[in-house]
Amino acid sequence: MRRRRSIFDIIRERMEELEAIADEMLDQLVERPSWDVNAHSLEPLCDVSVSSDRVIVTADLPKADPRSIRVSGISDDLIEITANMKVKINFEDFGVTHRRGEFSRFSCRVSLPVPVDTNRAKARFRNGILEIILPRKKGYEIKVE
Amino acid sequence: MSEKVEIIERVSVPNGLKMILGLPDVGLVGAIAASHIISKLRLEEVAYFKSNLLPPVIMLEKGLPRSPIRVFGDKGILVLSSEIAIPSASIYAIMERIVDWVGEKKTEVIYTLGGLPVPNRHNIEKPKVFGAASNERLLKKLDENGIKAIERGFLVGPQALILNLCAEKGIPAVTLLAECFYNYPDPEASSIVIQALNRMIDMEIDVSELIEKGEEVRLAMRDMMRRTQAELARMKKSHEYDIPGYYIR
Repeated sequence: MRRRRSIFDIIRERMEELEAIADEMLDQLVERPSWDVNAHSLEPLCDVSVSSDRVIVTADLPKADPRSIRVSGISDDLIEITANMKVKINFEDFGVTHRRGEFSRFSCRVSLPVPVDTNRAKARFRNGILEIILPRKKGYEIKVE
Repeated sequence: MSEKVEIIERVSVPNGLKMILGLPDVGLVGAIAASHIISKLRLEEVAYFKSNLLPPVIMLEKGLPRSPIRVFGDKGILVLSSEIAIPSASIYAIMERIVDWVGEKKTEVIYTLGGLPVPNRHNIEKPKVFGAASNERLLKKLDENGIKAIERGFLVGPQALILNLCAEKGIPAVTLLAECFYNYPDPEASSIVIQALNRMIDMEIDVSELIEKGEEVRLAMRDMMRRTQAELARMKKSHEYDIPGYYIR
């Protein structure tokens, strides 16, 4: 006997659809190489965290030359991080001999999920981790009674 | 297509050994530690995993195929390490098989090495180690070796299931967790967790290389970290940050 579709079934189906979409997006993020032979660059691991008053972007830059690190705003919601590496590395250094390529820099673009005030952004490189603090765009105050 | 997990021995694995488990997780602490121990002690592959629950991925080493999840030994010790992140959908089946195998092999004790993610890791000069165990006697041993037990909190993922299953089946198990980065490979945390392991099993595994070559390790582990991040999100690893609900002492 067929059960009638209840509101709970509908909700559950929607949730499953959304989860499937999220899973697909997650998969797409990893489905390309982290290295670019033409640009001699590696994509560093990056992380974005949003808090109430700021967005913090971090990037793991092992073996980067601190003086060469550049952070630039490409657009309101995109920043680019580049750095040169202290030494050139190639696939052979990782024991991989069936690919050829030499890498000498890091490069990645990070999209920002909320609007930020790029003029007041600060960046700091410490213990091999680059930390970029971007204050969120201030809106208007709403008085609490 | 049967959905089981097999652990196939290449050589006969003796009973009663100690086992160390280092699976990809936050900061890849366990994975880096396991890999380091295997290379320092020059352990050979003694067993490997075979399962349709794993993605169709193999390792090629010197042109020959190898399973991505393997057990290395012997020298009186077994180390389980994985080159891939364990798919979150298959964690239960794989951990149950591991614990069954550990029981069959009458393993003396199993140590899982991992990380305790902290949001402000790069402000921490020296990460601390915390522990958990499957029985009171091992808790005492942690205390005797200066390792604080986690009083109250959540543990998520493969090592959580291992600890729970071992406690149920009376298999001695200890979880060692060093404060680490959530999303970046943390060889320093791995070195700290190995030092804690050294105290617990009375060994002298040298970690100076891990610290000296920290940047190389971080460079080499980038791709494994990315894959692991995806699985950590699926199993909602961030639950470990949650403060457990109200309770009455």
